[in-house]
Amino acid sequence: MLAAGAVGQGGHGVVAQGAGHAVADGIASAASGPLWIAAVPALAMLGVVLTTFCAIFRIKSKLPAWLTVACLGGAFATTVGAYLHLQDAGVPLVVKAFTWFDLSWGKGPGQTLHADFAFYIDSLTCLWMLFVTGLATLIGLYASEYMSHDVGTGYCRFFAAFNLFVFSMTCLVMGENLLVLFLGWEGVGLCSYLLIGYFYKKPSAVAAGKKAFIVNRIGDFGLLMGVFLTFVKFGTLSFPELWPMVQPYIDMVKAGHGADVPFTVGLIPVLLMVGAFGKSAQLPLYVWLPDAMEGPTPVSALIHAATMVTAGVYLIARTYPMFLVSEYALPIVGWVGALTALLSATIGMAQFDIKRIMAYSTVSQLGYMFCGLAVLSSAGAAFHVFTHAFFKATLFLCCGAVMHGFAGQLDLRKLSGVGFMKGWGIVALAMLVGCLNLAGFPFTAGFFSKDMIIAESFVTPGPGYQLIGWILLLTAGLTAYYTFRVFFRVFVGPQCYEPGDEVHAHDEHGHEHGHDHGHDHGHDHGHGPETHGSESRATQSRATQSRATQSGATSSHFHPHAPGWAINLVLGTLAISSLAAAGTYLIGDGHGWAADMVHSSSANYVGAAAFLETAGHAEGEHAAHGSFLGMDPHKVMYYVSSIVGVIGIITAFVLHYMGRTTAATSRADALLPAMGPIAKWAQGKWYVDEFYNAVIVLPLRVLSHVFHTIDRLLVDGLVNLAGVLPRFVGSKVRPWQNGLLHGYAVGMAGGLAVLIGAVVLLSM
Amino acid sequence: MTLALLILIPLAFALAVLLAPAERARFIALLGTLVAGVFAVFAVVSFDFGYAANRGQLGMDIDWLPSLGLSVSLGVDSVALWLIVLAALLGPLCVMGSWTAITEHRKMFYAWLLALQAAMTGVFAARDLVLFYICFEFTLIPMFVLIRVFGSTNRKAASVKFFLYTFTGSIIALAGLLYVVWFAARNGTGWTFDIEALTMAAYKMSAGEQSLVLLAMLAGFAVKVPLFPLHTWLPLAHTEAPTAGSVILAGVLLKLGTYGIYRFVLPFAPAAVVEYAPAIAVLCIVGIIYAGLICWVQTDVKKLVAYSSVSHLGFCVLGMVALNTTGLTGSVLYMINHGLSTGALFFLVGFMYERYHTRSMRELGGLASKMPIWGTFMVFFAMASVGLPGLNGFVSEFLCMLGAFQADAAWAGMEASTHGMPGATWGVLGPWFAAVAATGVVIAAMYLLYMVGRMCFGPLIEPAGHHDHHDAHDDGHAHLPPDLTPREIGVLLPLAALCLYLGLQPTPLMKTLEAPINDTVSLVRGSVERPDHNGAAPVHHEPAAGDEEGAGHETDDGHAGADAGEVVE
Repeated sequence: MLAAGAVGQGGHGVVAQGAGHAVADGIASAASGPLWIAAVPALAMLGVVLTTFCAIFRIKSKLPAWLTVACLGGAFATTVGAYLHLQDAGVPLVVKAFTWFDLSWGKGPGQTLHADFAFYIDSLTCLWMLFVTGLATLIGLYASEYMSHDVGTGYCRFFAAFNLFVFSMTCLVMGENLLVLFLGWEGVGLCSYLLIGYFYKKPSAVAAGKKAFIVNRIGDFGLLMGVFLTFVKFGTLSFPELWPMVQPYIDMVKAGHGADVPFTVGLIPVLLMVGAFGKSAQLPLYVWLPDAMEGPTPVSALIHAATMVTAGVYLIARTYPMFLVSEYALPIVGWVGALTALLSATIGMAQFDIKRIMAYSTVSQLGYMFCGLAVLSSAGAAFHVFTHAFFKATLFLCCGAVMHGFAGQLDLRKLSGVGFMKGWGIVALAMLVGCLNLAGFPFTAGFFSKDMIIAESFVTPGPGYQLIGWILLLTAGLTAYYTFRVFFRVFVGPQCYEPGDEVHAHDEHGHEHGHDHGHDHGHDHGHGPETHGSESRATQSRATQSRATQSGATSSHFHPHAPGWAINLVLGTLAISSLAAAGTYLIGDGHGWAADMVHSSSANYVGAAAFLETAGHAEGEHAAHGSFLGMDPHKVMYYVSSIVGVIGIITAFVLHYMGRTTAATSRADALLPAMGPIAKWAQGKWYVDEFYNAVIVLPLRVLSHVFHTIDRLLVDGLVNLAGVLPRFVGSKVRPWQNGLLHGYAVGMAGGLAVLIGAVVLLSM
Repeated sequence: MTLALLILIPLAFALAVLLAPAERARFIALLGTLVAGVFAVFAVVSFDFGYAANRGQLGMDIDWLPSLGLSVSLGVDSVALWLIVLAALLGPLCVMGSWTAITEHRKMFYAWLLALQAAMTGVFAARDLVLFYICFEFTLIPMFVLIRVFGSTNRKAASVKFFLYTFTGSIIALAGLLYVVWFAARNGTGWTFDIEALTMAAYKMSAGEQSLVLLAMLAGFAVKVPLFPLHTWLPLAHTEAPTAGSVILAGVLLKLGTYGIYRFVLPFAPAAVVEYAPAIAVLCIVGIIYAGLICWVQTDVKKLVAYSSVSHLGFCVLGMVALNTTGLTGSVLYMINHGLSTGALFFLVGFMYERYHTRSMRELGGLASKMPIWGTFMVFFAMASVGLPGLNGFVSEFLCMLGAFQADAAWAGMEASTHGMPGATWGVLGPWFAAVAATGVVIAAMYLLYMVGRMCFGPLIEPAGHHDHHDAHDDGHAHLPPDLTPREIGVLLPLAALCLYLGLQPTPLMKTLEAPINDTVSLVRGSVERPDHNGAAPVHHEPAAGDEEGAGHETDDGHAGADAGEVVE
């Protein structure tokens, strides 16, 4: 698209013209699509049903895994078909499955609440669907081996939830209206809850699942309000009907009357973004994601790295036209993203649990994506989602392979030189590919996608966007450092290891003994008892730790088992895919295939170009040419970010590889005293969990107890008092009924007097 | 005739239960409820949904004391029909659910259970105020007996409190209802207890009279719902009642309160409802949050579910006083959905109690590893209750909140005119009500996941001294396997199927409710749009219900709300 390319080049003069075109044909009206596209969620649902039957008939084989892979593979094939069909059709497709909501209270527009269970397929949807179904198939295959110790009911349960997740996720991205999106949105939350708590006998896993669901619900609250407001304001929830209605406001902004956009319209994106922050683990709602690592690793890879957590990015991209008409929505998104990126990178640098490091890096990278959306590079954001999905899945699955092979060991101080051990070559190579991508090493996919975002933040005028650019650049350096810290410590260097605590635990559920996966070893050092788990957790993890040390002493009996064919196959495929993702940057015009996909959808620049223009007017010359130290960011950023990334990698190399002889220590330890308490605070995750606990959870609990007490004593007490009162009165009144006539006479006279008095008073 | 049979069949079988030997009681009861269920299906089939708002369907009229206007007059519109179906559905499930739990006084138990079903059906089927009130009050007696005789340790206090509390409320409601009768008699209708005739006459009451009538009626119905702060009988009664009692209590008896508000408070005192709606809504919202937070710190699982009813019914009444089609539809759906999901939760708790004889979450935990089927159902119904989209709870909760949210009285001030807000419709609440109430959605997740996390997940905890084979020392109690039996699964499966079906296909049900609800909405709206209360009678009473649909709609445009707002102040 012309407009897209023009903005991408930063040519100001071309923008205005290009924008006109984009507005004209940017939001194409939708056409009715073939019903077979609905097979994508339907096949996932079939997977749920089949695996449930496996559970009912107590299948004790890997059948559920193969059924899952078959169903999801079918879904992927259908998605590819849908993609090709969309290319032919050229306009977004709407596929209606059945009517969900239909309620009318009038015949006018907006007086009907109508929501079909229908799917809206445009290129943005296709982009997401392709990697969701593709990765789900691969990770399902990986899980067939990874979960093999649980064959039986647990295996069925895992794959049923896995399929249900894919169903919900496809509903989320394919939803034709906000309600179907919301169904998928809550559905993925449920599956996330079920899968994080997969090892349900472990209190920490149950607590983590609960935390994820509840924190997400806080976000959903915002999303729900956004849905309500959208309906009240526009009278519809259907995307293809919404776009033309938002168009006048976009034109308004374009004409420089941004201030005239009604408050309610500007409020919608703010409400929607709350939901996005919850699902995509951004400040202040990011705290659930690191804990979510309690789930089995395939789940972490698929749900908590590649797909579900990008739902927030998808939501904003999907409703991008609404964000463009609000003056303050996108800057908020940008700042939240940048701060989250930086904060979680600093935490990631100080952790020892490799899976948690990856979790924090996910939070950080999601921050980049939000920045991308904010700086009007929806293409950059979507491209980063796409590349990130592949390389982060690779990284997680590598961590999972290590965890699987070393009996749950994830502490980088207890593993070293894994890559040189027999049978671990593919894992190490895949890990290297993933790390290079995450670190933004030149010419990797992660490099290109991250670059697009950083460059745009220097180009796009906006409140403090230059500073966002600098923050992102700094974060890129930190990312490179902590990524390679893991690689240099775990995968290369002297070979030594200490197995985790699941050595003897391959019985029924595999986790009878291992109450902790060894996750807690890392941050047990920094601070006191864990607060987000149950009270007993701290003592438990201490107990596990001593057990781990014991098993370390006897580790001569333990032999790490290298991954089998399924894991290796998947890792190889994913590593190659993450490299190949870079290739998509080179095809197509402008910024690659993914960018083209975004540009031909409603997440196009449509108003973005216009936005640039008006903002430019508002802020004068300064804004017209965003620059990076006086140079054109688009050109210079490739070099700058390469240098930053390489510096990060070299730092990690010097600190964590050179001269390291054991697994436990490295030269970085020497620096710790110089950092003072900062390192400790970062290890303690800046005590955000503790803060929330003290400020929100605890007061709420106290309040609940107060309410409970009030309810028993005051509210119910009054009732009981009212119950006692008649008896009391009765016992006092009874003596009067003594049968003495004059007593009754007095009473009667008194009563008459009162009555007459009352009548007289009333008549006056 | 169908309705009469739906009332008489349970009564006849109750008699049969009493006459037959005790060991046959449960079979006869099951047969009776199943026969009633068949007739309920027949009622749905023969109901003419084209005239869903016509309240005379499936009914009959027998003059009783014509000089006093008393008659036995039955008939339903679609709202009442579905509630009768709900009662008929829960009937056989309750009998099946009590199959092994009730070992003593079986005759008494099943006879009262059947009598209760007849009374509940009578409440929904009555077109005559006296008949309604008799049935309404009669439900107290079977329920009292069920709690008093078959309840757990604190049953005496619970039954007395239940009886006296709700009875007191009902008496006050009766005063309000009788005032309407008196007013109607004085204003030309003569002595009549026909609800529709009264609705037409009540319309002429002055604002002050309406307020008094509203407060009196609300006193009775709000206790029944229960609305904060009149809810304290409920946790006690629920906790002490036997499983079937709790299920009926949550599933249908609470709905007598919301149905009463729908059937009497709204039509009899429309102008007063408009005036008091925000205040009632505030009570609902306080209840939602307050009861939700109390749930969160419960250690008795049954009490937790009981308090969750208080929180949930807050949404239901909130939708009701949103006074627009969305809110009212959501409210009526909520009555049905809450009956299904909370009823199921009480069954689950009951099945667990039968095995462990404790409800304390301190003594129980991680039961999913021992009872995986039970655990699966628990998670499922907790999710239905939490309002997960795709299941039934979401539909009604969404509509209730949307109804409050889209009320244009609040939006009128926010934008130049509500013309720019096509989704807004008439109502006196506003977005703030919905926003604050929606925090209840987060709280619901907190307490329900707390419950599931404690009961199902974590390491297995069983009460001290619990043995799987407790039949040795537990005389009379049938031996139950660790996990659910096919019978118990059979109780839960229909409920689960309906939760899923109504979550994905609510529209057919919604469509059947549209006509009567739109009538009620236009009636309430009409009361404030015509400043003089002697205006034309509400549309409501035109016999050809098919034509009514349009009546409320045509006036429904952006302006009306602003005008209405002024009238109401």
